[in-house]
Amino acid sequence: MNRKIGRALVVGGGISGIRAALDLAETGYGVTLIDHSPHIGGILSQLDVQFPTNHCGMCKMLPLVERDAASQFCLRKGLFHENIDILLNTDVSAVDGEPGNFTVSLREKPTWVDPRLCVGCGVCEEVCPVDVPDAFNEGLSTRKAIYLPVPHNIPNAYVIDLPSCTHCGECERVCPTDAIRLQADRRKEFRILVVDDEQIVRDSLKAWLEDEDFSVDTAESGPAALEKLAGTTVHLMLTDIKMPGMDGVELLKAAREVAPDLCVLMMTAYATVETAVEAMKIGAEDYLVKPFDPEQMIPKVVTVYEHLEAGKTRQLDVGAIVFCGGTDYFHPADEKNVYGYNTHPGVMTSLEFERVLSGTGPSGGRLVRPHDGKPVEKIAWLQCVGSRDVQSNADFCSSICCMVAIKEAMLARERGNGRTETAIFYMDMRTFGKPFQRYRDQAEKTHGVRFERGRVHSVHPAGESGDPLIRYVRLDGSTHDERFDLVILAVGQRPSKGTREIAELTDIPLNTWGFVQTDPFLPARTDKPGLVVGGSYSGLKDISESVICASAASLEASRVIHAAGGSLAVESPPEPEMRDVSREHPKVLAALCTCSGRYAQRLDVEGIADRLERDPCVDQVLTLNQCCTTAGWEQLAEAAKEANPNRILIGACHPYLFIEQLRELARHIHLDAALMDVVDIMSPVISAGSRLKDNSEGPDESPVRSLQTSALEMALSRLRHLNPVPAPTVDVTRRALVIGGGIAGMHGALAIADHGYPVDLVEQDDRLGGNLHWLSRTIDGQSTRPLLEETVQQIEKHPHIDVHLGSRVADAFGEVGQFHTTLETGDGEVNTVSHGAVLLATGGTEAPASEYGYGTSEAIVTQMELESRITENAFDPTAVASVVMIQCVGSREEPRNYCSRVCCPTSLKQMLYLKQANPDIAIYVLYRDMMACGFTESYFTEARRQGVMFIQYSPEEKPDVHLLQSDDYPVEVSAFDPVLGRPVEIGADLLVLATGVVPRLPENLARFYGAGIDTDGFFDEAESKWRPVDSLKEGVFACGLALSPRSIPDSIATAGAAAQRCLRILSHERMKTGKVVSAVRHSLCSLCERCIETCPYNARSLPADLGRVAVNPAMCQGCGECASVCPNSASVVHGFSDPQMFDVIDAALESAL
Amino acid sequence: MAKTAQIDVKDNDLLGALRDLFRAVLAQDAIQAILVPRRLPMKNGVMPTLITDPEQLDGADPLAPAFPINGAKVVSRLTRKASGGKVAAVMRPCEIRAFIELVKLNQGRTEDLVIIGVDCLGAYRNTDYTRWVGDDMDEATRKFVTGVLGGGGGAADGVDLAPACQVCEQPVPRGADIAVGLFGMDTDKRVLLEALTPAGEALSEGLRYKKADPPLPRRKEIDRLVAERTAARDTMFAETHEATDSLEKLTGYLANCVNCYNCRVACPVCYCRECVFVTDVFDHEPVQYLRWADQKGLIKMPTDTVFYHITRLAHMSTACVGCGQCSNACPNDIPVMELFRSIAHRTQLGFEYEAGRSLEEKPPLSEFREEEYPEVVGI
Repeated sequence: MNRKIGRALVVGGGISGIRAALDLAETGYGVTLIDHSPHIGGILSQLDVQFPTNHCGMCKMLPLVERDAASQFCLRKGLFHENIDILLNTDVSAVDGEPGNFTVSLREKPTWVDPRLCVGCGVCEEVCPVDVPDAFNEGLSTRKAIYLPVPHNIPNAYVIDLPSCTHCGECERVCPTDAIRLQADRRKEFRILVVDDEQIVRDSLKAWLEDEDFSVDTAESGPAALEKLAGTTVHLMLTDIKMPGMDGVELLKAAREVAPDLCVLMMTAYATVETAVEAMKIGAEDYLVKPFDPEQMIPKVVTVYEHLEAGKTRQLDVGAIVFCGGTDYFHPADEKNVYGYNTHPGVMTSLEFERVLSGTGPSGGRLVRPHDGKPVEKIAWLQCVGSRDVQSNADFCSSICCMVAIKEAMLARERGNGRTETAIFYMDMRTFGKPFQRYRDQAEKTHGVRFERGRVHSVHPAGESGDPLIRYVRLDGSTHDERFDLVILAVGQRPSKGTREIAELTDIPLNTWGFVQTDPFLPARTDKPGLVVGGSYSGLKDISESVICASAASLEASRVIHAAGGSLAVESPPEPEMRDVSREHPKVLAALCTCSGRYAQRLDVEGIADRLERDPCVDQVLTLNQCCTTAGWEQLAEAAKEANPNRILIGACHPYLFIEQLRELARHIHLDAALMDVVDIMSPVISAGSRLKDNSEGPDESPVRSLQTSALEMALSRLRHLNPVPAPTVDVTRRALVIGGGIAGMHGALAIADHGYPVDLVEQDDRLGGNLHWLSRTIDGQSTRPLLEETVQQIEKHPHIDVHLGSRVADAFGEVGQFHTTLETGDGEVNTVSHGAVLLATGGTEAPASEYGYGTSEAIVTQMELESRITENAFDPTAVASVVMIQCVGSREEPRNYCSRVCCPTSLKQMLYLKQANPDIAIYVLYRDMMACGFTESYFTEARRQGVMFIQYSPEEKPDVHLLQSDDYPVEVSAFDPVLGRPVEIGADLLVLATGVVPRLPENLARFYGAGIDTDGFFDEAESKWRPVDSLKEGVFACGLALSPRSIPDSIATAGAAAQRCLRILSHERMKTGKVVSAVRHSLCSLCERCIETCPYNARSLPADLGRVAVNPAMCQGCGECASVCPNSASVVHGFSDPQMFDVIDAALESAL
Repeated sequence: MAKTAQIDVKDNDLLGALRDLFRAVLAQDAIQAILVPRRLPMKNGVMPTLITDPEQLDGADPLAPAFPINGAKVVSRLTRKASGGKVAAVMRPCEIRAFIELVKLNQGRTEDLVIIGVDCLGAYRNTDYTRWVGDDMDEATRKFVTGVLGGGGGAADGVDLAPACQVCEQPVPRGADIAVGLFGMDTDKRVLLEALTPAGEALSEGLRYKKADPPLPRRKEIDRLVAERTAARDTMFAETHEATDSLEKLTGYLANCVNCYNCRVACPVCYCRECVFVTDVFDHEPVQYLRWADQKGLIKMPTDTVFYHITRLAHMSTACVGCGQCSNACPNDIPVMELFRSIAHRTQLGFEYEAGRSLEEKPPLSEFREEEYPEVVGI
């Protein structure tokens, strides 16, 4: 693998952090991925399946180029990539330096369990006396103070939750591998000074803290405290804010002069919380709110103590930092009595319900109420809890909750075999993504989910049963009561915890609601160059958008590193030459770890060695004292050097921890690491150990040994038949073709060219800019003119971009790395370009209008026509008195059954413009669901505040438009107003039709490159969530409106993401594919072509000139479908030969018999 | 011309009328050769024969109860690539169905082919036929045809139809271009000629036979026969199930197998150039045999016999047309056909597929359906 200059730090190991890290690693950068928590995966580790597939599929994000650099298993279980270092329990504590050259301080929280030694046996958990709510299950179950953060990690090490640990030492005593080292308790040496003018506060705090073994001193005033600080060492000061004389803030300032490193916690009454927040800006660590609850206060102090105790920081030099901190979720308990949450056990959040649905949840996936185990037959979802709610400071739409609720309802119906009644109570069903509307229709029509438009007034316990009773109001004002078994609050998103701290460390600004404020047009950039933002850290995104933003962020990070000299275009160091062992008989060196004799009674090393030696392939069996130590490993390396084996088999623990060491050994003895394998022989011993505790009769060795030998013999069988072929490579033409010169295409071209790779940018028009020519402003008031002009200027000046105006693609062929495209100008001039990747940015346009009298009157216009008139100053808002806007014209119903996403914001933009220009104008909006997603919601709120009338209509009862002959108004619109409960007629000077977006992706163009087109004519992504800009055919990407309807910044984000995907390919001179690719044994092949039909990646073909089946190794993903349809194994997958698999199965069954 | 015509039989000579038909076909400009079961010149047997000389059609005998090979394999060889000329092939219904499967697997083409189907009267086991036929082959065929069409089943001289034919519920050639109808006809006087495809229509137009509607008793006779066969088939399924419903019973059922692989050589839809069982995949290391023996104290040789049949079932049961050549080919009288047909019936039902029904239906493994077998895939 090419070693590139340059390293990036990715902060946050959720889905976007993983995406960003993988993107950068795949282009060759070193990446450090840190996460605050003890596991990666973020919120997705708690969710089993996602909309709209109702499956997972996270593994589809694993590298497709140089696949062998990464682990190839379930991504929820873990990630290993040779370019990615993962640091868990780690936070950023300081950032210094400048773009391209930052120094970051990282602070790692101790967990007191050594992950290299912990084998996950769980003995510690059994003896731990502490029970606390399990955050993984959203508090629906309990866990111990020593626990597995997630149930499915590989390797899965226990961690200790320090604030809840009582230091009883039981776990340390029973741990069979000595993995736990509880720190010597130094609380006695930790001195706390409590400053408060009230005796009772001082005394009670002193008593509580001393109970926790801390040393506590007190002072009754600021000056007294300063005196004590001068005299003795104090580690932590708790100070009241409101004190006579010197107040807490003054004391803080003075104290920091005496003791600059002193940690201070402010104590405040509710009224002075703002002062406490101010105090944090001048150095206070945190604040505590009076009156104190020791349950909450003590852990806070303990956390500070642990933090100070740990204090272990490390420095890291990186070129750029990608912040992927994700979001948190609104917690109803923090607010006053939200729909009976916390007081009524039948009310839970949507996240909690995800856990109820999960197989690893509190009920193992059975649909029962957690509090009483009653089977759930009727569920209600209440939307917009903590979203679209000015009172909870959330004048935004969280964008994901509608889809989450639909998904949960469908899963609940499925789980209950269709008998579970499900109802979603909502204001607007915001199905704004490309496949979302059809998903909703499917939920309603096929799955029988009930959608109830209305606002829920309250939730109360119903009569005797105590089940939640919902009182809700329909649009017509009627009130209804309905009983449910469970009420799910679809909770919205909130800025992730720690966002403020990061903002303070880095000076990145936050927006009104505390999310990271990004550039208005470039959603990955902040106003601090080199500090970029991916995923939902900047607010309110679903997985697909998060992943797009993460890739866009890694692109921006790469740009910064590249500009600072961390070039992508470095020559690769020569790969170490490996011995060709393909013609040798297998000669296996087996090594067994004895773990220092720790399990002498249960680990029969000699017996196992005997078994292995019986195999003629095994040259010798070595025993190692402890192969995880340097000494142990060197012993193995020595033996390997001496015996010169061509296969190495190691029996030890933690196979995944040896990956790097095996690679090192491979370089050392010139034997491909693929010919070495580590087998876990300790787990059977250890789990037998925990079983044996109840069984005093003594260990029964045989099952343990047979598990070990069968695991070893399986690996031996695998190795014996292995004939490692070097991963095939594919030549790459390091040049890109971008088709479409709109804003997305231009940004994609710039992003690639900025990395030094030439780009051909093709535009059929005679100028660049696309839709930006008729747009003038965005909804947030940004003028798009400078964006257009600056971008075009950059393109024209760029030395690496060739612009082909007035040109179109006449023909193209080829595969990843080697595409050849014929361009043709209007004059018939022909020009062929070769390129390694292609970016389809062919854009889209406003859908044509045909309904509501369009074309019969000047007064009936589309949104685009209105926008153009405004841009050209050809529209006088003061000359109109009444405007009607109809949303979803021909949209969100078959055949165009998708939401175009931009039309509601455009209407809001236009109505606010009209209102500003002429406040007396009457505006009526006829809508189905206002798709004011994300922060756009605030403009919806503003429009209502300014008196715009919103009238809801249903597709079954569409408005009518008549032309009037009278002088008053040219047009009359009649509709049924569900709030008034009667038809209304509105006269209008202007009727604006929101027709939505249609893509412009010519079928033949897609066919040239092997890209798919979906039913609506958009680019068909490989996977809408995990590979949102890729085609299934490698090397073909799309961005902008060709991909799906989206706003300017969203289009630019997709351009960044797609460019980043191209860079993965262009950064290689020869692209290495995976070792596990398929091949054809031509002498056996009957040319039935089933393999070609079945290959999902179009990697197989039967070229007429060749007369036999060919495989493109760069497109083949090694899935093995071709091998499974081939009856006589003429189609094979390298590394999985039939004889090998038979042998492995035999070895596995041997012990079972 | 109507789609059905009648061929007059002169002097009660049914075979003669069919030979005239074949000569007429061969005389067409478009047809270069005709493939038809024909008596062997030097032995009293019948084999598919490619004929260009009309005189050689004197020996054509498509009605003899001889079925030494499933002709689909032969036709596949003739049509795998363009041959430069058009061939008319006289085939039994099960041969046509097998050929349709082979076309779907790119082992044959229909472009240069006209299929002439004949109502199938069934056939004897290979060994039975040779023993039974005697020297007067005309008389033997006549006796057989009279026996079958006269309602006496196949049992002429106490010889039964082959087991596969006894349970064959598709004796009428559906996938042919033109079909000769015998059931329900007064075959001493006339038989039916049906054009089933545009190519068949074009051909029969040139043959100038007299247009005629199928006589009423024909449909009734076919229905009766199919019902009878279906009942026999279901009885066979039940008996086979009873004989093989555990691994022990199945092992016993196949106990006489010696890995001669004749059944897959005879199988018309086993299309692999080289069966996986004769490749290096089953070239076990000598140490492996010892290990296996070591596990249970014994291992029967040759190994992989049950495995072989199960694998062949996995590969071919969705394409099995029930022609019975596997049983015909078995030297040890294993009822292979019964097992394959039973399994094939269920697998084909499972995929809503019927081998040989249509060229349009993709074989189950070549088609991806997202919502399929939820109870198996667990999603």
